[in-house]
Amino acid sequence: MGDILGLVAKRLGLGLVILLIISVIIFFMVELLPGDIAQAVLGQGATPENLAALRKEMGLDQPAIVRYLGWLKGAVMLDFGNSIVTGASVSETIGTRFANTLFLAAYAAAIAVPISIVLGVLVALARNSIFDRVANVATLTSISSPEFFLGYILILYLAVKTGMFPAIASLREGMDFGDLLYRTFLPALTLVLVVTAHMMRMTRAAIINLLASPYIEMARLKGTPPWKVIVKHALPNAWAPIINVVALNLAYLITGVVLVEVVFVYPGIGQALVDAVSKRDFPVVQACCLIFAATFILLNLAADVGAILTNPRLRHPK
Amino acid sequence: MSVFVIIYYTLLLGASCLAAYFNKRSAFLLLFSLTLVSFVLGIVGGVGALRAVAIAAGLLALAAMVSYAFREFLIAIASHNMAKELRTAPLTAAFGMFVIFTYAIAGIFAPWIAPFGEAQVISSAFAPADENMLLGADQLGRDMFSRIIYGARNTVALALAGTVLAFTLGAMAGLLAATTGGYFDQFLGRMSDVIMSIPSLIFALLMLSIFGGELANDTTSFWLLTGFAVLVGLLFVTAVAEGNVMSWIIGLAIMVGVAVAFAGGMLVIFNPSEIILVLVVAVIYSPRVFRLTRAVAGNVVVMDYIEAAKLRGERRWYLIRREILPNSAAPLVAEFGLEFCFVFLLIAGLSFLGLGIQPPTADWGSMVRENATLISFGELTPLIPAAAIALLTVAVNFVVDWMLYRSSGLKV
Repeated sequence: MGDILGLVAKRLGLGLVILLIISVIIFFMVELLPGDIAQAVLGQGATPENLAALRKEMGLDQPAIVRYLGWLKGAVMLDFGNSIVTGASVSETIGTRFANTLFLAAYAAAIAVPISIVLGVLVALARNSIFDRVANVATLTSISSPEFFLGYILILYLAVKTGMFPAIASLREGMDFGDLLYRTFLPALTLVLVVTAHMMRMTRAAIINLLASPYIEMARLKGTPPWKVIVKHALPNAWAPIINVVALNLAYLITGVVLVEVVFVYPGIGQALVDAVSKRDFPVVQACCLIFAATFILLNLAADVGAILTNPRLRHPK
Repeated sequence: MSVFVIIYYTLLLGASCLAAYFNKRSAFLLLFSLTLVSFVLGIVGGVGALRAVAIAAGLLALAAMVSYAFREFLIAIASHNMAKELRTAPLTAAFGMFVIFTYAIAGIFAPWIAPFGEAQVISSAFAPADENMLLGADQLGRDMFSRIIYGARNTVALALAGTVLAFTLGAMAGLLAATTGGYFDQFLGRMSDVIMSIPSLIFALLMLSIFGGELANDTTSFWLLTGFAVLVGLLFVTAVAEGNVMSWIIGLAIMVGVAVAFAGGMLVIFNPSEIILVLVVAVIYSPRVFRLTRAVAGNVVVMDYIEAAKLRGERRWYLIRREILPNSAAPLVAEFGLEFCFVFLLIAGLSFLGLGIQPPTADWGSMVRENATLISFGELTPLIPAAAIALLTVAVNFVVDWMLYRSSGLKV
């Protein structure tokens, strides 16, 4: 067991280092601005007094490295400073929105993961049949469509024409869980369509790869019933690629959520990021980017760790 | 029971019986399962649902016929070797090529095809379609159809420029890393790891928040372009010059000239905010190209014929140009297609968010956003630009699928 813990710790350490480098990139990119943030916020017509006051308020009179360390320390303790535009605390504005986004992503994942794995395995078993071809074209179309296309099609047919679901996923205080699921169904369905297609294709590829291995051939030749070949011989080795597929697609979900949130006016962190970018509210942009990057890295890390845990061969790197 | 329903089921059942009689197993399975599904659909959705199925089947048949004819056309005009390759293309790939061809025509001849100008206001806002305007007017009263045609030019050209830049940087770095090895290789590898661990849309938003606004002017974009070109040029010169001081000096001089000319040329074609967009995309996607090129070239570099060429005394540039590139061309071309899809979707997404291509330039992503209000009135028009994006991406993917299948062991 010791070597597994060591390997996992090593992966975690690597993830932390990458996150640190990304925090440096995110922070110092803003420093690339000519002049500084204060100049960018107030525009060309700002008086020197105003500039000086804002600089003092934002701590811009200190050297960049000191400010970076302060920012990093705040970020670790979930304090990202104050918004330039509204002056409110960034963590407070983003906190609930981040929870909303996580809820939407989890909702979509809860539907998409079982469906796509079952479908992916079925399609892999029936490969090169007409159903496989149809599934191939359908998933390719779904992947190739921009998220807003799928979203608006769903709005048009499920909300405007038939009125089955609300077109705008607005949240209120004190909604019960069923109502919440109902109101956020369309954005979740949009994400499900995209992610299911990705996951199905990857699961299919992984399973086909597996079914081509000699020991499956051997099991078939010795007369094992087909279901037993799948359950006893193929499945134990299929967990590693499937876990990988799921984790990678959850990471994809986290970024795909930005466009979907804008389409459905869902109060999530993606919408906050887009608003902040168009208003050039840098503290919010930095905080959102760091959160997105951290989630992304965490899920990729989960994929690695899951692969290590389920595939003993990875524990002994050559 | 209307006449339509009777004809519908007669045709389906007749076709499935014929398929079964002539032992066409897959066709029979498809037709008969469609019949079974139609029973359920007909009960749940009524005649309307069946009509929709019939229309979809008709469209599919039309697409199949067009792709078949287009493939035969290509085979007829292509040279003998090309024709042999083209004969192996499945109908989906032929359909992809047809769509790409159509978009190219629409993009190149946009000013002649479009009945009105790109930003020409000709009627009231959201005017419905009439014999003058094929698809009605948009939110400012501009002709929707003309704007879609112009969009084929603006959106695709921008995505193509971004892909080419990303590819030049990524592929050059990958080839150089594969042939040089050592610390240089390690350094580039780690750097691409870091860039790839930030989600692309998020990274693009971060960069656009900084380079958007006042920074999107002629001077800044000129210097950024020159910087990018110098970076690519440095890789080129390193590959060609190889330690010879004289060639370094000549190479650097040529490089600066080319970089400035390139930046000036780009500024003539695109406006500053578009150039920033292209550069952002190039920076984000070049690590992916680098990874693939490095992997493919890495497999070629260890071959015996490379060893032989090295013993012959060939230089690095010769190795890259004459030995490695021809042997890794197929996966690289396929990767170019895939990258184009990613870049295209990213740019469309950014424009949809209002942060990409800026008005009044006609662009599909922003057109969807601007006309989105029409959707709540049950109108299909705002979806047409989005469908145009999806169609092109699907088409490129179909062609790439075929090329991957043909060229390599990637038979997924």
